[in-house]
Amino acid sequence: MRRLTRDKRGITPVLSNVLLMAIAVAGMSIAITATYVITNNLRETMGERFIVEDVWFKTGEIAIYLRNTGKIPIKVAAVYVNYTAQSFTSLELDVDSHGWLNVTYVWDSDSVYHIKVVTSRGAQVADYHRSPT
Amino acid sequence: MRTTIGLRLRRDRRGVSNIIVVALSLVIIIAIVSNVVLWSYQMNQLDWEKIQEDVKISNVTSISTIRSPWFVVQSEYTVTSGSRVGGTYEDTQVANDGSWETFREGQKAPTYRLDVSGTLTLDLSSYPLWSISTVEIKLRYRASDTGENWYLKAYNWTANVFSNSGFNSTAGHTPTKNWDNYAVNLADQWRSYVRDDGTMRVEFHDEGNDAVRTTIDIDFLGVRVVASGTRFTFENEGALTCHLVSLWIINSTNHQHYNINVFVNSGQTLNYTRSDIRLPSGQYTVRVVTKRGNTAVYSAS
Repeated sequence: MRRLTRDKRGITPVLSNVLLMAIAVAGMSIAITATYVITNNLRETMGERFIVEDVWFKTGEIAIYLRNTGKIPIKVAAVYVNYTAQSFTSLELDVDSHGWLNVTYVWDSDSVYHIKVVTSRGAQVADYHRSPT
Repeated sequence: MRTTIGLRLRRDRRGVSNIIVVALSLVIIIAIVSNVVLWSYQMNQLDWEKIQEDVKISNVTSISTIRSPWFVVQSEYTVTSGSRVGGTYEDTQVANDGSWETFREGQKAPTYRLDVSGTLTLDLSSYPLWSISTVEIKLRYRASDTGENWYLKAYNWTANVFSNSGFNSTAGHTPTKNWDNYAVNLADQWRSYVRDDGTMRVEFHDEGNDAVRTTIDIDFLGVRVVASGTRFTFENEGALTCHLVSLWIINSTNHQHYNINVFVNSGQTLNYTRSDIRLPSGQYTVRVVTKRGNTAVYSAS
């Protein structure tokens, strides 16, 4: 301690080293966090899979039965009928779970509809379905 | 050699810094790439397995006679006359397993009597009341003497009494001193003996007062239903085992969904029977969905 107080030149390298270490640690932390976020987002997007088990044309609505066959939970973000966004009941599905997605839509009998379901991460399932006569 | 490299590194500090930066960057890049590649490999595997699946529904038929498994007592028997000598009710849940429960007639000579009853519950979620055509009761027992007949009765929830009215046989059973099977059928009167929640009470008793004190070993007591239902035949022509998780019965007015849990091995043809499914009249479609997300469809009318 006495040496340090006598020799002021010795403090500068110590401080600079400490500062450099702090900067290096902070930089690495940011880099590792960014790595985690980037890979996690990629994994989630790649891990989404779901299927439409059934489409039921009911009065004033179209009920779509979805099953999550992927490796992460999904949330339905949009439903398009004939390329037009429609209102629907909120639906979130855990892995291996399933449930009805009710879309408010007044349909015509014996008509073909293009129905597309899109999740919050962008996965989508689309197909044509004919309404009953 | 090591000394030379060490000297160079000490002189040129910028070189050390560059090496550290490159090494750390490489670690980060390897972490990202390996994570993404491995996950991508897993998902590709999932998709590949889905493509390999090939399941189909080859037949769907209504059947009138499905026999359920035996429903057995889940608590100790009530002994109205006589006494329990050994064993427990669990020893009467499986036939021919080498364990049984023993009862003995009461101690008052010459009026030895034995009357035991047990409560059983039918699984109405698998065999709803509307699908049941009758109920059968089966007893496997051994008596120490052959001097009197033994009777099976069920509790009539309407008349609030144990009865065998309407049974296919009310004459009782004469024991042989060996293990005997005694079965009765409740015919078309079964509904009086089954409560709305599926509960049944079954009584086993002797013929009446006698001078011989009989010991009874009960190896098995159970009831089962005879029901109608639907049989689905699934064929797996793919290379992988299929796990069927969802079954649909669809007609013009209703889309009925059932959760199922059926595994079909590669190359196997499997009959799957459900007593709680009734096929609709007119044209209908049966759809089955695998866990990997494939679908098989069967249409009939």
